[in-house]
Order: sequence, then structure tokens, then C-alpha cells
Amino acid sequence: MLLPRRAAIAGSALALPRIAVAQADQRPSITIAVQRIANTNTLDNLREQSNVGERTLLMFNERLIDMDWRGNLAQKPGLAESWRRVDDATLELTLRDNVRFHNGDVLTAEDVAYRFSPALAFGDTRPVVDGKTLPHAFSAIVGQGSKKLPDEIPPVARRLFPGLDRVEVIDRRTVRFVNATPDVTLEGRLTAAGAEIVSRRAVEEAESWLAYARKPTGTGPYKIREFRPDVSLTLESHDDYWGGRPPLKSIRIVEVPEVSARINGLLAGEYHFACDIPPDQIAVVEANPAFEVVGGTILNHRITTYDNSNPVLRDPRVRLGLAHAIDRQAIIDGLWAGRTKVPPGMQWEFYDDMFVADWRIPEYDPAKARQLLRDGGYKGEPIPYRLLNNYYTNQVATSQVLVEMWRQVGADVQISMKENWVQIRDRNTVRGVRDWSAGAPFNDPVGAIVSNFGPNGAAQQAGEYRNAEFSQMCVLLETSADRPLRRKAFRRMLEIAEREDPAYTILHQNATFTAKRREIKWTAAPSFAMDFRPGNFAL
Amino acid sequence: MLRFLAIRFGRAALTIVLVVTFAFVVLRLSGDPAITIMSPEAPPEALAAFRTAWGLDQPIWVQYLRYFGAIFQGELGQSMRDGRPALTLVIERIPATLALTLPAFAMKIALGIPAGVYAALHRNSLTDRLVMAGAVAGFTVPSFVLGLILVLVFAVKLGWLPSGGQESWRSAILPVITMGLGGAGVLARFTRSAMLEVLGQPFIRTASAKGVPWGQVVRGHALPNAAIPTITIVGFMVGSLIAGAVVVESVFSWPGVGRLLVVAVANRDLAVVQCILLLVASTMVVSNLTVDLLYGVLDPRLRGRTS
Repeated sequence: MLLPRRAAIAGSALALPRIAVAQADQRPSITIAVQRIANTNTLDNLREQSNVGERTLLMFNERLIDMDWRGNLAQKPGLAESWRRVDDATLELTLRDNVRFHNGDVLTAEDVAYRFSPALAFGDTRPVVDGKTLPHAFSAIVGQGSKKLPDEIPPVARRLFPGLDRVEVIDRRTVRFVNATPDVTLEGRLTAAGAEIVSRRAVEEAESWLAYARKPTGTGPYKIREFRPDVSLTLESHDDYWGGRPPLKSIRIVEVPEVSARINGLLAGEYHFACDIPPDQIAVVEANPAFEVVGGTILNHRITTYDNSNPVLRDPRVRLGLAHAIDRQAIIDGLWAGRTKVPPGMQWEFYDDMFVADWRIPEYDPAKARQLLRDGGYKGEPIPYRLLNNYYTNQVATSQVLVEMWRQVGADVQISMKENWVQIRDRNTVRGVRDWSAGAPFNDPVGAIVSNFGPNGAAQQAGEYRNAEFSQMCVLLETSADRPLRRKAFRRMLEIAEREDPAYTILHQNATFTAKRREIKWTAAPSFAMDFRPGNFAL
Repeated sequence: MLRFLAIRFGRAALTIVLVVTFAFVVLRLSGDPAITIMSPEAPPEALAAFRTAWGLDQPIWVQYLRYFGAIFQGELGQSMRDGRPALTLVIERIPATLALTLPAFAMKIALGIPAGVYAALHRNSLTDRLVMAGAVAGFTVPSFVLGLILVLVFAVKLGWLPSGGQESWRSAILPVITMGLGGAGVLARFTRSAMLEVLGQPFIRTASAKGVPWGQVVRGHALPNAAIPTITIVGFMVGSLIAGAVVVESVFSWPGVGRLLVVAVANRDLAVVQCILLLVASTMVVSNLTVDLLYGVLDPRLRGRTS
């Protein structure tokens, strides 16, 4: 076929600017190998509440209040440039000017209000008052073509914002979060996964909730080009990003389930980053001087919980004795290459004024452990220890070490491997101890100790733990605006749950490791989240 | 012949029903999709809502009746992870899997059968021993070990080929070789045994004694008679084209049906697992049925028996 000369010239002319733009963009594109992109195959963080989902969300989404991801995790302006307390139940935020979504729309207060509306978050749930979740109804199944929220989203949204009554639009750049009860943690909750702001127009124009959730239109530095569930997520630079031009032209995240395949791909030069590297593979990667492993502790603690309804464990001294028998540093040195630490209880430094700096968990003291077991009336009865096959990193190895440490002080703890969480929680057979982890979704104890062990937490719901005073403190922590009183209550909760009437014992802080090419200058956040915003990538 | 076909089709249908029933019961008794998909830390209300939405709060026999009722209406259920029809998800992955299994199948045939015939014709020679040693190595080395060795050599050390993914046709080379070598080893062993058995038969000696050239004896008498056991193995290989790459797809991060099955089982995405098993069982049953019918074509003596 002959091409007419005019058409050829016109075609060349059209192609020229594109080539010029492409040549001007010298930014690198990278590939990241991860074990899993998303558990739910969606990218809406109210549904995708997993660690793996957290990894990508900073790339395309943003929240009103951000955290200092490369520093001490302190709160800092995000999509809101400032905020102020109207009263204990009301928070007013002023939005940044001229922030653009990936579809070109400018962020307004309407978008924020829509994000926290019944349509996109709360369904027909009502605020939690005095620690009681108000009833709600469920009916529909999310399916192809349905605009309705998946039924599991409103409860997740309610756990994150239990008391939120409404979000008022004051003007184009001002919103007011109004709670049904006083809540001093509202700022912290706005930093948590699930509080991301998306374009209202994009959601309304999506043909279904699923279509929206597969390609959320946020304001982050990278926009979603393509999401192939279970395969890959491709992002490209959002050049109108308010925080400056992103340092990468594109990011391709590929799902590589096998750790050996991730490491091989990194060493072969196909990937720039390989995530979820087990501690025992760090030396393997770093044996090649061109690569290094970064990362470390994250906002999550590995814990072992007790079922205090078990007659053998009913006496708190027995549970405390088990806690004193654990040489945690030995576990960290032996199984984590020394790259994590023993935290001071179920709390994190970013709790700021709620952090109980002088609190310590029960120390390793075998003699004391033996004495406590004796005093508690323990006579060598078997204690079942249910665990999954390495759901947590090093889980099985850690459990074997624990059983030996407990044996050293005379406790007969017997491992019982289970296949899933239903079997772990099954209350029809005798429960003893089990593994768990506790994360800090935001900078207040209600996000961890209350949410896991409080009246509405999984431990109490499953009948594993009961303590009336502890439960009262939980409600106080959730509803009181009296900061000194809250601090006092939290300290008392640590005393109860970790020493007086133990609900759990802390093992160590969790850690995540990412292997990368050494030539890449990049700082890992103390989180699963990977930050590739301006200023955090250079070759 | 009609009775033969009726019995075969009846057995095939029963096999499929048993496989699907077994999968249905085992999956529901061995895990809760709500906790798996929503995470153990999810609020109890959210877990309850999920179970209600997907009918998991109903007695298992009610779920079973609903499932079978839906199958007869052509409805194989929706994925719990994203709400799309399970069949759509599976069909989307089939081309990727076939992109590995078909070339691997061709490689198995092209390498395995000639190697087996050659080894049989040179029985007890050095070549026979070498070919058989290679065949034994091929099918005894687990595919994940062979795959990782190939990756280490050709991707990490030499940098010639990608270590995984589905970027281009080059990405398929190592997984195809991994699957092809194992299957070729199996075929070589079976073909050799079948050929040796046939070559020891009186009609082979008779043909040779009558002066028929050896090549013609092999092509005209030995190979057709040795084909039946080989066809049986080939039938199994055809049956596993859809889901026969579970391990290799995981090792090479290849987004096919095998990977989908692993993820769906891990997440207890019930409809997807059941859909894949139904498809695999059907493929295997159809393949075996075809092999049964081929026996009659290959061996005229069997036609009389079946009719």
C-alpha cells in the first residue's frame, strides 16, 4: 500500500511532539516484585485492609493528614494544609489549594464528604456510642455491575471511625468532621489506611463499585495505568502532583509468590526491588555487593495470646510465668538476624504523649517463671498451642523455640498445627495459647490494644479474654477527651493486660525487609508502605 | 457399541459429580473464606456480613443444593474476591496456561517418543543407558527444583533468559523446558518398555524371518502395537493441559490457571476453585474417553470386545 505524501507528512508532524516529550522524560521506570499485590483484588483500602495492600497505597492515594514516613511518623499536613479543633467532637480541616486528582479534577470539600458518606463508606451503620455498636442491616452481594458497597465495608469503616456522625462541607476548601461522641483520636484516624480521598466524579462515573475499586482515582504521585489482579499493577507518573514532579516515570509491581523467584529476579537484574525477604535470606542477597536489604521494624508487634477461660491458665500467675520464661532477645538474634527489637509493650513511640516510656514487658527470668507457675497451681498439665504454618514470618521456628523455653521452666506446652483461623479460634475444643499480631493503624492505643482486646475486639468476641476493669478503661479511652485521664487509663490497661491478668505477651516487633539494587538511593518507611514521592528516589 | 458408549459416558459424569462434591465438602470444612479474605483482624460484624452475603451462614447441604441447582442453569458462581463470574476468571487465564502446556506437550512428544523408540531399538547399548539415565533424571527431579536450577543458570548466571513473569515469548522458554523435560522422560520410559515388549513378540520374529526390512518391521508392526500404552500416557498429558502447570506457574510467576488455583485455594475463593476443578475433571474425563475410543481404532481386536 502506498502512503499519500501529504498523509505521511501530516503523520510525521503529529508524531514529532510525542517523541520530543518522550525524549525529554529521562526519569527511570522501575519494577518491584512482591509476594502479593492485594488480598481482595481491589485497591480500595476500606476493603483491602491487609499489609500487602498498604504497600502500594501511598503511591496512588493520599489522606487528609499525612505522616512523616521517612522520619518519626509524626502527623503532618497531607491533603489538608491545616486543621483545628472546634470542640472535642469536631475537627475542621482546610484543604490544600489546587490539588488535582488523576482525572484532572480539582480536589474539593465535596470529594472529602463523599469519601466518608454512606455511599462509599458507612452504608446504613450509625455511630458507636458508649462502646456499643449500633445495629445495621446487610442485604446485597457485590457483583459485576453493582454500584452497592460490599457488605463488609461499613463495619470496617465503623471500626476506623466508630463515632463519626457526618462530614459537613463548610466551603469549597473547608470540611468539618462531626463526631457523635468526643474523640481525641480523630486526627490520628485520618492518617490510617481507609481514609484515602478519591474523586467523587470518578466513583460516580464508574460502572460499578468494583470498577472504581480496581482503579481508584486519587491524588497520589502515581496514577493507575493497569491493574491485573494476581498479576501486576502498573502506575505512571501523575505529573500534576501537588507535591512536585514524581521521580519515576512509571512503577510496575509484579506478583511473584515464591521468595526464591523474587530474589533470582532481583539478582538477574529484572527487578529493582524485591519485597518480603525473609530474615534468613538477607545474607544470601547481600553476598552480592551490588545489592542490599533495607527496612526493619514496622508498626506491628508479634504477640502470643492466652485463653484465660482455660482452667489451667485461669490463674494469672500461670500466664505471667509463661511470659517470664521467654528469652525474646534470643529469638531476635537467632531468627531475625538481630534486625528487630523487643518493644515496651503494646505501644509505639509515635503514640507521642500517650506513649508510656518507662513501661517494660515481663523480663526473661526463668527462676521467677518457675515460681509463678508453682504459685499459680500449675501441675504440668498440657497446654495446647495452636498455630498456622508460617502465616507470620518465622512463626513455626519461633513456636518451637517458645515450647523449648517453656519446657525449661516446667510448662508442658504442646504445638497443635492448624490449617486456618477458624480452627485456631474454635471454641468447641480446649484452647490454650495462640499466635497473633497487633498493628497500630494510627497513633493512639485505641487502634491496637482496644481494637484487639477491648469489648468489640476479636479476643473478647471469641471468649478468650475477660476483665471488667480493662473493658471499662477501653470505653474511657475511646470516648474521653481528658488527655491526662486517658494516659492514666492506658498505663493501667498495660498493667492489667501484660502483667496483672495477662491477655497476651509481646514477643518482638515485626519487621519487613526489602532487597534492592545498592545503587538506588531510597529510604524504607517503618511500614509496609513504599514511598516513591519526590525526594525519595535517586540513582 | 452403544452400550459401551453409554457406560463410558455414565462413568465420566459420575466422576465429575464425585470430584465436584468432594471439592465442595472439603473446601467448606477446611476454612472460612471470610477470615481468609478479610483477615483475622477484621471486625466480627464485617466477617458476619461477608458470610451472609455469600450464603456461607447456611447449612452445608443447602449450599450444596444451591450450587448444583446453579450448575444446571449454567451458573458456576462468582469470585468472592472481586465479584466477577468464576468462569470468566478461569477462561481469562486459559490462554496463558496453554501458552506453556501446549509447547511443553509438543516437546514431550517430540523428545520422549523418539528417545524411547531409539533406546528400545538399541537395548543395553551405551546410548540406551544414557537415554534412560536422562529420562529417569527428567521425571524424578521435581519441577520446582529443575525450574530453579534453570533460572539460576540461564537467568541469574548467564542472563540469557528472564527468570519469570510473562513479558514476552522469551519468558515462556524456561517454564516450557521445565515441564517438557519431565514429561519427555516419562514418555521415553513408557515408549521404551512398550517397544521392548512388542519387539519380543513372535510376529516380529516372523516378519523378520520372512525377509521384511527391519525399518519396515519397526514402522509397520512394532510402532502401532506399542502405541496403546503410550497413547494412555499421552491421554493423561492432554487431560492435564489446563491445570498441569500449577507448580511451574508458581515458580515462574506465570499468570495461568495454575496460579489462579493456588491463590483461590489459599483464599478459599470457593466458586473459582470449584470452577477450575470442574473444568479439569471434565478435560481429564473427555481425554480418557477419547483414549478409550482410540484403543478401538488402534487395535481392531478391541472393537469386537467393546461392541
